[in-house]
Formats: sequence, structure tokens, C-alpha cells
Amino acid sequence: MSAITVVDLAKTYRYHHKEPGFKGSLQSLLRREMLETHAVDGISFAIEAGEVVGFLGPNGAGKTTTLKLLSGLLYPSRGKASVLGHTPYRREAEYLRRIALVMGQRAMLWWDLPAMETFLLHKEIYDLPPAEFRRSVDELAQMLEVEHLLRVQVRKLSLGERMKMELLLALLHRPQILFLDEPTIGLDVVSQQRVREFLRRVNRERGTTILLTSHYMDDIQELCPRVLVIDHGQLRFDGALEALVKQAAPYKRVSAVFAQPAPRRALEAALAGIPIEEVEDSLHIRTSVPRAQVADVAARLLSLGAVADLSIEEVPVEEIVRGIFGASQRQEPAR
Amino acid sequence: MKLRYLWQMTSMNVMSTLEYRGAFFIFMLNTVITPVISLLVWLAVSEQGVPLPYNRSQFVTYYLLLSVLSMLTGTWLATFLAEDIRRGGLSPWLLRPAPFIVHYIGNNIGEKVVKLPLLLPLVGLAALAFRRDLHLPSDPRAWALFALSAPLAAAIAFLIDVIIGSLAFWLQDVEGLVRVKVLVGSFLAGRFVPLALFPPAVMPFLEAQPFRYTLSFPLELLTGQLSAQATVRGLLWQIGYCVGLWLCYRLLWHFGLKAYQAPGS
Repeated sequence: MSAITVVDLAKTYRYHHKEPGFKGSLQSLLRREMLETHAVDGISFAIEAGEVVGFLGPNGAGKTTTLKLLSGLLYPSRGKASVLGHTPYRREAEYLRRIALVMGQRAMLWWDLPAMETFLLHKEIYDLPPAEFRRSVDELAQMLEVEHLLRVQVRKLSLGERMKMELLLALLHRPQILFLDEPTIGLDVVSQQRVREFLRRVNRERGTTILLTSHYMDDIQELCPRVLVIDHGQLRFDGALEALVKQAAPYKRVSAVFAQPAPRRALEAALAGIPIEEVEDSLHIRTSVPRAQVADVAARLLSLGAVADLSIEEVPVEEIVRGIFGASQRQEPAR
Repeated sequence: MKLRYLWQMTSMNVMSTLEYRGAFFIFMLNTVITPVISLLVWLAVSEQGVPLPYNRSQFVTYYLLLSVLSMLTGTWLATFLAEDIRRGGLSPWLLRPAPFIVHYIGNNIGEKVVKLPLLLPLVGLAALAFRRDLHLPSDPRAWALFALSAPLAAAIAFLIDVIIGSLAFWLQDVEGLVRVKVLVGSFLAGRFVPLALFPPAVMPFLEAQPFRYTLSFPLELLTGQLSAQATVRGLLWQIGYCVGLWLCYRLLWHFGLKAYQAPGS
């Protein structure tokens, strides 16, 4: 049985429009036109225990709403979700003990107290035996390199240090499933890297299933062998990141630098109708070549002679995702 | 588990509160000044020769005890709870396998633990000023009944606040309601005018409404105005309100959580 099974899951929010200004407020007081937004609109998927899956999608696509539905914070408008055999919205204690949700912008730690105090509260809530609790704190603090910060007030910690503490807290009760909503948001590159390494280790050593949303393609690329693309509340793609890249970008980027200007006509013949995207000067060309033709085009370019450099590259994932979502951005209240 | 959880929660609240102790001193000053002003007004009225059901000593005893009890039964969570519902602050608590309400109970008890040592010296000063008129009951039974009634009063006040705050599941803004409750509730609890001073015609209403049991009733037990029968009836009202309000809170949450939108990320 899959760890997570989702069938036709949907969540609809109701809201109303308000015209700007005081007049708009008065009008909205008297007459409200209720509108509905389908934040999640009938998605289905299954996730096996031990997988690391990334949610990709523009703002307002329904990624966070899906995580909230799966962790039991939201009551679905339609459809079914089963996580570890539980129905999330029932929020049974047995279920909540087996999961954790970390929200990048919503702290669980107490602001005025050292993180250790919140850890102790967590120990009482989850009934952790003292010896196991101490071992967990030591182990996780060492992995995250925060041993020296456990007794510092949370408000004195940097953003990166705070996120590490949030992760430590979320893992104290050894959840089987970890939901992460933007775990690296606002962190510097070094901290992002540390958090990624830590999550990889948690998945490898504990077999924790991880579902994460992120704006940073690096997170998805480095952590998630599988991605779910959500847009307008619907599942657009489910599979390996490479397959998404192949599907969304069925071409590679070929660049060539010539030692001396190549005749235009010979160039066009070598490219067999593929347009040249960019010519900085007559010595440097760049073009996008369908995957099947890459080898042929490369051979023909080389045969023109005087090629100083030839490179064949995948289109950056970042760019592909921008391409997929660029056209579909819409204005809706963020959830 | 629950008790250790409550203990840790309470001590964390004490520690957090101690970070801001200056503000609490001002709060406590206010807790004493308001009853003392009411007291001075009533003493002035009674000196004009207006016939009142309370004598000078009863007024003094009533208002000095009121200043302590109103702190002990005080609540402030409605606004915070409504904010937590509206802005999604409730989410972290809903993810934990423990009743969320313990968070607010811990906050309530924790802050009172800090407030009490700040309040008592101020009340002590006021008691010193009125020492000739202050008559505390010597009957241990009165104090025993008070010790039973005061926690019930705190529970009723707490549950009323929880219910008002919970309306934020459906209402955009409950702040107006909170203000009405503070004003009407204070009046009906006997904070400005002791309930014994109201006309007899409204007595049945005053006896039935919940605010009497958040403040006035435990004070009546100490100022020795109640018959044995009225005492038992009052305690039953208190227990009834505790149970009824608790059921009401559970019902609101059952439906409220379905409406909860968990805003923010």
C-alpha cells in the first residue's frame, strides 16, 4: 500500500471582492459578491514510503493548499486523501504523531525562549522518553551544526539558524512523513545547501518520506527524483524531473565558436533549417536543436572546419519551468 | 502526559512573560486603581445619607477582594484566539497530537503566576489605607466555598472568551463583540456596581446570567450575604455554566475546524 493516496482531492475557498478605498469598503459592507477559487481542483496521485517528491508550480497554483490538506489542517471540499492509512482532516492523535509539517514562514518555536524550551514542550506533547529525547536532540543538533545554539533565545538566531531549529523540532518525534513548505525560503546559499544535505540524510538514514514545495529549482533538482507539477489547482505532470525536462524542452542548446567567420550559407545548410537564436558576432552562434538531431547537427558544424569550441547543454531547469508557467500566471489570492 | 504538558506550557509562559515584566506592572496598577475609584465613589454616596444595602465596611471588603479576584478570573484570549484563527496562527497547534486549548490555559495561568506577586503589594497598600473598615470573614467554611467557587468562575470567564474568539471561524472581525462583552460583562459581573445594589425586580435575571458567576458570586460568598440555599443554588449554576459552555465550545470547534482556512504559509 502506498504511504499517500490522493483521489480527486479538491479545496474551494470563498472570498469577496472589495473595490479600493473607503467607498469600496462601504459597498462591500452592504452587498458582497461571493466568489470561489478552486485552489486544488481534483488531483490524484500516490506516493510510496521513502520517496522524496517535489511540488512545482507558480504562486497560487495549489501546492501549499495540497500540503495543508495532506497534513489535516484543511477540510477537503471534495475527494479523498489517505496518508499512512489515516484520513488527514480527522486529525487523530495517532496520525499527528507520525507526520510533521514545516512551514517556512510560520514558526513553531517560541520567539522569546531558547529553542530547547520548545523541544522540551515537544517532548511532553509526544511523550518522548527522556533518554530517547536527549539522543535525538544531540544527533539532530550535530547533523545541523547547531549544538552551541540550543540555549540561545530564538529571536537572537539568524534566519538560517532558526530554520535549522524548526527542522530539528519537526524531526524529534521521528515522523514517517515530513511535509515541507518552502523550507529554504530566504536562506543564503550556504544555509540552503546545509538544509538540503540534512534532508537527504534524513531520507536516507531514517527512510522518512518527504514532500516539499520550493521556489528554488536547486532544492527540487538536488532532492527530488520525482516532481508533481501543479497549476491552476490541477496536476499537469507527475514523474521524474528528467522526463519533465525532456517533455517541456525537447531540445538541447548547441553553441559553437569559430576561429574565423563561417560563410552564412554553409552555416544554414549545416543547421538544416534550425534557426540561429543568437549571433553575437560572426564567430559565435547559439541554437536550440531537437534532441534527435543533436549529433547530426554537431557533426555538420564540426565539418565546417575552424571550430574553436562546441558545447551541447541541457536547457536550465529554471528556464524550462519559467517557460511552462510564464504563460499561465494569473492573479489570485495567495494561499 | 496532559499534566506535564500543561506544566511545561505554563512555565514557558511564565518565562516569556518575565521578559516583559514592565508592562505587567502597569496592568496591575490598573487592576487596583479601578476598584479603588469605584469604592471611593460609593463611600461618597453612602456618606450623603443615601440608604444602601451595603455598609461602609462591606463596600471596602467587596472592592478590595474584587481587585484580587478579577485578576485571578481574568481572561484576554478572545482577541488572540480570533487573530490566530484569522491569520493562521492556529495551524502549528492543530498539527500536534494534543488539545490546542492547553496552549491558552498555559498562557492564562502562566501570566497570572507573574501578575500575582506584582498585584499583592499594591492591594496590601490599599488594605492598609482602609484597614479600619476591612472585615475579612473568619469562618473557614466561607473561604473553603470561595476556594471552590473562584476556579469555577475563572473557568466560566475563560470559556466565554473561547466561544467569542471561536466565532472568528465565520466572522471577519470579533473585536467589536469582545468590547461589548468587556463592557456588558463587567457591569453584569458586579465590577462597577455590586449586584446586591440593583432593584429587586431584576434580581432573577441577574442570578441567571453567566457573568455573575465570573466575579460577583464568589465575592458574595466571602462578604457573607448568601443563605445556605442561595449558596448551593449558586454553585449549581456555576457547575451548569461550566458544562454548558464547554459543550458549546466543543460544538463550535467541531464545525469551526471545517471552516478553518489555515491562511499563510
